Amino acid sequence: MTDAALSLSVVVLALALLAAAMMVRRARLWRIGKPAKVDWMAGLAALPRRYLVDVHHVVGRDPYAARMHALAAGGLLGGSAFAALALIPPLGASRLFWVAITLAFAVALAGGYMVGRRRIPVKPPRLSGGRFQRLPFFLAGYSLGAFLVALDAALGGAIWPLAWLGLWLAAAGGFGLVLQIDRGPMRHAFAGAAHLVAHPRPGRFEGERTTALLPLDLDAPRLGAATPSDFAFNRLIGFDACIQCGRCEVACPAFAAGQPLNPKRLIQDLAASLQPNATNGSYAGSPYPNARPVAGVGGPELPIVGTGAMIHPDTLWSCTTCRACVEECPMMIEHVDAIVELRRFQTLELGALPAKAAPPLMEMRYADEPGGRPLKARTDFAAGLTLPLISAKGGAEVLLWLGEGAYELRYGRTLRALVTLLHRAGVDFAVLGEEERDCGDLARRLGDEATFQRLAAENIATLARYSFKHILTADPHALHALRNEYRAFGGDYEVVHHAALLDELVATGRLPVGALAEVRVTYHDPCYLGRYNGEFDAPRRLLDRLGLERLEMERSGKRSMCCGGGGGAPVSDIEGERRIPDLRMGQAAATGAAIVAVACPQCSAMLEGVTGERPQVADIAELVLMAADAVTTLQPVPAA
Amino acid sequence: MRIAVLLSAGRHAVSGRPAPVPVELQAIRLAHDLGGEVTGLHAGPDAAPLKDTLGHGLPRLVHHRITVADDPLPSLAAALIEGAFDLVLAGRTGQGGEDTGLLPYALARQLSLPLVPDAAALAEGPQSGTLSVEQALPRGARRRLVVHVPALVTVHPAAPAALPFAFAAARRGAVEARPGLVAPRAPTQIEERPYRARPKLIAKAAAGASAAERLKAATEAASGGGRLLVDPLPEEAAREILTHLRDIGVLRSR
Repeated sequence: MTDAALSLSVVVLALALLAAAMMVRRARLWRIGKPAKVDWMAGLAALPRRYLVDVHHVVGRDPYAARMHALAAGGLLGGSAFAALALIPPLGASRLFWVAITLAFAVALAGGYMVGRRRIPVKPPRLSGGRFQRLPFFLAGYSLGAFLVALDAALGGAIWPLAWLGLWLAAAGGFGLVLQIDRGPMRHAFAGAAHLVAHPRPGRFEGERTTALLPLDLDAPRLGAATPSDFAFNRLIGFDACIQCGRCEVACPAFAAGQPLNPKRLIQDLAASLQPNATNGSYAGSPYPNARPVAGVGGPELPIVGTGAMIHPDTLWSCTTCRACVEECPMMIEHVDAIVELRRFQTLELGALPAKAAPPLMEMRYADEPGGRPLKARTDFAAGLTLPLISAKGGAEVLLWLGEGAYELRYGRTLRALVTLLHRAGVDFAVLGEEERDCGDLARRLGDEATFQRLAAENIATLARYSFKHILTADPHALHALRNEYRAFGGDYEVVHHAALLDELVATGRLPVGALAEVRVTYHDPCYLGRYNGEFDAPRRLLDRLGLERLEMERSGKRSMCCGGGGGAPVSDIEGERRIPDLRMGQAAATGAAIVAVACPQCSAMLEGVTGERPQVADIAELVLMAADAVTTLQPVPAA
Repeated sequence: MRIAVLLSAGRHAVSGRPAPVPVELQAIRLAHDLGGEVTGLHAGPDAAPLKDTLGHGLPRLVHHRITVADDPLPSLAAALIEGAFDLVLAGRTGQGGEDTGLLPYALARQLSLPLVPDAAALAEGPQSGTLSVEQALPRGARRRLVVHVPALVTVHPAAPAALPFAFAAARRGAVEARPGLVAPRAPTQIEERPYRARPKLIAKAAAGASAAERLKAATEAASGGGRLLVDPLPEEAAREILTHLRDIGVLRSR
């Protein structure tokens, strides 16, 4: 073992100790958070799987990033660990061992080159600059230096002047890297691991789609989150885990529309405010589009939202809760949970909602319906159709949940198509009629948990009076509330989306359909059906059964783009440069499709609101009805 | 400034459930924006449905308990005298209760207070002890009045929207219950009949006219007439305005 190699081992060990100290210093900040139930043992045991499978799955959507990480992180950690182990005499004396170390740092150097190549000479806009731009130099310095020392040791001291130069390089680069643990890019390495262990939604790693918002205890002394200390500690770890890769900002519909929301910046503002006397000054990524001015100061016990704080309220209310950012986040951060937690405080404690969002909540409080319309009028869309009431029948196989869209003329047409199809297929169904209250989705996304919980309790009490096998709905927002969010309040239902039911009816032949003339159609995934509930296939299968030529948009499936209708965004109405539905319709038009197939009243309303020449908007039920009509005209059903 | 806001037991216009009256919530907003010590007053059998007003920015609610058969007027008059308020705000009418809109007038007469109806905005007056009231008149017109306090002002729906509801504030707020005055209502000779919807009167187009003509007739009757000039020269605009004023008789033609 050469003297330089021995020094390298000592330097690596010293750097490791320094790194540990930096990590402890940062981790102590997490203690300001509220306690949370975390299964540490299970989390620790699952860490390798969560990292190598779940995280890799997301990172691997950008294969360059996956290879870069494998080389840089693998080489760096492996080489450093080996170099420290070389302090054990028999290992250190083995030249073969130093060959292994040399190879590890060569790999790390290749990774460091990839990190640099990605940012230099042109940094993609989604990546942050500042400290992040210095990272490749530290990485290269450390790995090149250590590589030279190890190579010298492997060669038995043949290039000793280079080795001593390398030692200094490795020490300087390593020191730079360690200093980046506190506030720089290296923080994601350890905070990310901690976040994977203590993740607030461990079900995400078990193949579940845990997307239901967590219930809020309405008797708590403070409702929602005002300051960083109001978040659970594992949420704070999540904020620290952010590596500012900017995949969320690329996916965010509000960001694309020029509304003042950038999920990356939001998480950075939250992470920055963990420490006392915090400012947002060191952020070097893309800003909130059309950012409203804020003071940009914060601290563990200081408010987060407000013009005198870190985050402007308009930023908070721009979110459509579409979960595109969560889907894209390689660190598994739960942006939407954080936004709703902040909204809850604004709404429940301060009553600080956007002016136009308050009236629908008020109507929901006193009339159980965001438009303040009579509950009895919900079935008006079905004038002339037979719409059995469950109160008259006592029970039915399928309970049809109409949702808020029933009041709207355009969506009424969709529901009329659905009701007609159910009759034609001989489905035993019924509706609640005036006993159906709003499901409370809008109230919950706007942070009004009190109204949501009241509506949930009253709907659950109503549903308990009737017997039915499952609930059918054409509204994915109602589906998500009934299927996933009512469970916490004692409502456990099997809820089916109309696309899934129609698909089954057509597949089993209960609903004969003819082929529609070869029309080009593209399917727009509703966020609350797709990303929230994992149902991507049934609507596509159904469209294929109708003989349509199905085209996929630039963004589809779980990476689909929101129509702009979720999360109360239409009523919050935060000003941007463009409209989200216009962007989405542009993507639909780019496929060359003549029809955009939708499966949600919000999507239908938002996309129908797009002006100018564009593809037609048709709900899946309407298309199925067209196909079913085609069969009755072409091949008359033989008289029974 | 000590401000009292009179609150009535309203009902939601559609659902019929107990609910705060929107225009009274707007009155709370005006009082809140004006600043000072704001108290909500209610005289009635039950104040529980009014607790929600505490979530709309009302810091304090006093409930004078009376029975259904009692007239709230004496209880409210006594409370207003006792409280020595500078300003009393009330809604223009209630909603879902008796809805006559007469109570503020009866109170003003009993307390000998000046009454300014239909306020859309309030501000401090030019001298101390005065209040500047912006009155909402038909067709969007506004008139600014200055009154000496104490005064009673009713609030018009054109006032700024109510403060959004804050659940936690309503939860924390408490209602102070006090006994009201026993004042049995004089039996009234009012006949009650179910409401009969009357046809809306719109300007008639000639019988057999097309739908477009009927629409034109119906909408033109509501508009003030006149011509729309886009980006005219100032002289041309002035001439047009003068012509119009002469046409409608505001200016005498010479």
